[in-house]
Amino acid sequence: MSFSSQDRRADEKLGQILGRVGSVRTRLNRLALQHAIFYTLAIAIAGGAAIFAGAYLLSPLAFLVGASALAIIGCAGIARAVGAAWRMRVSTVRAAAIADDRAELKGRLSTIVALANHQTRGSLWAYLVEDTLGYQDRFAAARIERRRVSRAIYPLAGAIVLAALAIPISKIKHPPQIAPGSGQDDLTVDLDDLHLRPADPGDESGMQVTADAATMHRLEDKLARESAANGGAGGNSLNQLVNRARDMAGHLQSKLTGQQTASKQRLNLRLADAGGDQAQNEIHRAPETQKNRHSDVAGQFKQDQPKSNREIDLPREDDSRQPNSEPSPGGDGESGAEANSGTDNPGNHDNSATDRRIQQSGENGSNGGAAHGTGADPDSLFGAPAPSKLGTEGFEIAIEARPVDHGAKGAGHAYVAPKVRAPLSLNQEPDEPVARAAVPAEDRTTIKRVFER
Amino acid sequence: MSDVQAETPTVADFVRTFRRIQAEIHKLIIGHEQAVEELLSALFAGGHVLIEGVPGTGKTTLVKTLGLALNLSFNRIQFTVDLMPADITGTRVILSGDDGRREFTFAPGPVFCHILLGDEINRATPKTQSALLEAMAELQVTVSGTTYRLKPPYFVMATLNPIEMEGTYPLPEAQLDRFLFKVRLNYPDEGELTRIISSTTGPEEAGIEAVFHATEAPERIEALKRLVREVMAAPAMETYAARLVRATQPQNSRFVTDEARAVHDEMVNRYVMFGSSPRGAQALILGAKVRALLDGRANIAREDIEHVAVAALAHRIMLNYAALSDGIDAAHIVERVIKSVRAGKP
Repeated sequence: MSFSSQDRRADEKLGQILGRVGSVRTRLNRLALQHAIFYTLAIAIAGGAAIFAGAYLLSPLAFLVGASALAIIGCAGIARAVGAAWRMRVSTVRAAAIADDRAELKGRLSTIVALANHQTRGSLWAYLVEDTLGYQDRFAAARIERRRVSRAIYPLAGAIVLAALAIPISKIKHPPQIAPGSGQDDLTVDLDDLHLRPADPGDESGMQVTADAATMHRLEDKLARESAANGGAGGNSLNQLVNRARDMAGHLQSKLTGQQTASKQRLNLRLADAGGDQAQNEIHRAPETQKNRHSDVAGQFKQDQPKSNREIDLPREDDSRQPNSEPSPGGDGESGAEANSGTDNPGNHDNSATDRRIQQSGENGSNGGAAHGTGADPDSLFGAPAPSKLGTEGFEIAIEARPVDHGAKGAGHAYVAPKVRAPLSLNQEPDEPVARAAVPAEDRTTIKRVFER
Repeated sequence: MSDVQAETPTVADFVRTFRRIQAEIHKLIIGHEQAVEELLSALFAGGHVLIEGVPGTGKTTLVKTLGLALNLSFNRIQFTVDLMPADITGTRVILSGDDGRREFTFAPGPVFCHILLGDEINRATPKTQSALLEAMAELQVTVSGTTYRLKPPYFVMATLNPIEMEGTYPLPEAQLDRFLFKVRLNYPDEGELTRIISSTTGPEEAGIEAVFHATEAPERIEALKRLVREVMAAPAMETYAARLVRATQPQNSRFVTDEARAVHDEMVNRYVMFGSSPRGAQALILGAKVRALLDGRANIAREDIEHVAVAALAHRIMLNYAALSDGIDAAHIVERVIKSVRAGKP
């Protein structure tokens, strides 16, 4: 009887000891969890602040490289912090060992925890439990580990302070840019000073390029030479990748800095060309070549030929899928281009980014519809027009204009933004089939026979 | 004469008895506190002790004093080059009975006692030295096909003279391994030497009082030895002892297996020919248990193991010629091993 009560008392004492060891373990594991959470947050906040500051202070490529490096380092740091926290977590045996070391209990707790579940504990077991319980004040959880909050709170606080400082510093060191085209006049640059690269598909930013026909043709030739000089497909694809990365970084920067709307405003770039006469002669010598080129780059440039200009207004993106759209008044049905030429449709003349126009010369304008090929398709002569092929194959020329001080040569306009692209001008639109007039039923057979021949 | 309780001893009994024996020994032995503690630890751990010291440092006096304090039967063998095994174990002699008949009777040798002092054991031939093997390991002696049991407690203390090596026979490794501890007696310092002079050159000799009655001494000592075995060792401590022993084994030894999990010290690889045997790990744990009891604990700690590591492992490590030429001794190797293992390498 007394033996069983002794056993019960011994078990109660053992339970007290194990309970204290368990609380020590809980506290240590909680600190390990805090370590993981705090370090993860600290890295995320500090990294985010650095990226945010970089969006203000760095060029797009530098920003892309820096942000990528930060992201990689941050991920590695988070993984390391989580790994460290995982290693910091303790089992009951390990918690007992830690308590032994810190309370200088010389292995008492470790022995008890290790042998608590053994069937044969030996004659000195009761002595060990009693002896260890005498030191219970030493291995209270609060004495073994005083901290309730992990030291990782300091890096987290530092990261928060850093983030709080990064935002105003970025804004102070980099005041808002003057948006290109916002309240400024046209920018005139020399064609020889332009560095050309193909624009990425889907790039909405850019500028309106205005130049005479010869300059525009020289611009085309220069683009062709640049493309050829860049080597084969590998070089082009690499350039495309770099450009795409740069654009992506630019977009991200714009989003982060809130300057998205400003940067989308277009810049009116007027190209000046010292050898414009030569280029004009080349146009007359090779009209066919010019025609083909125009069919390829139509919609990309505004050729400044006031004498023979005809403007073709294409519908907006959301209107382009409506084949039954009514032609503008004044159209004679001869050509879709003519149907819309010369009309001042207010919706097509506003300065919105999506509104594009194609402005072509009179000679080329008559060939514009035929060049699409859709009008020559006997199967679709009288049906819905085939979707434009050039709409997906077109390209933009991104023009990175750089400020050059040539005195009066540059018409005195200061260059503002290094990132300048030349997509469709406001008076241009993507090359789309023009709306066709209805063909009288009695003429259809004749027309079809002619085209089948 | 004895105020030690006769029944099942407690930790406090053990500590009190141990300290009393220590105090009796130190009536005659000045200094050598650590050596005396290691000697008694080996006694209660159930092992034997090899005592190494230069002449005149009190080796024989220490053993004699221990015998007197424990009140156990005590024999001494002075090992010489012409000593034969039968001189140690005993031999069969022809004796005449009361009826005049002559018959072979076993005459026990000096090993039949509780405490045996083998003085300058390295002066006897290996054959004679090995005669002690069976007695030390199995507490029995076999003579002419008959096995004679030795009465516990049986405690062998052998002394080694590290100088005058001419005409000596280094102990075989197998015999060295059977000693639980190797205790080194160094020269006393100035204060100790002064006290030795004053206590040994006066008219009065210090009297040693036995701690136990002669009749109950063997039982009491055996009970205390059983108590030592009751001390608990956590698995982590056993692992630590195993790591220490494995760390004494050189990496390039063909006898070492599973070397990936062993801690290797460059010094061990360079200077050690053979490391400690598994008996070294047993010695570590047993010695640590005595040490834990002396500290009032029923469990061993890492400090206990480290405290007895040099005494338990040094004589089990065989050094190579590079160590001899560089003046590296085994104790230094053990200390390095402790540091390496404590550093936490797997």
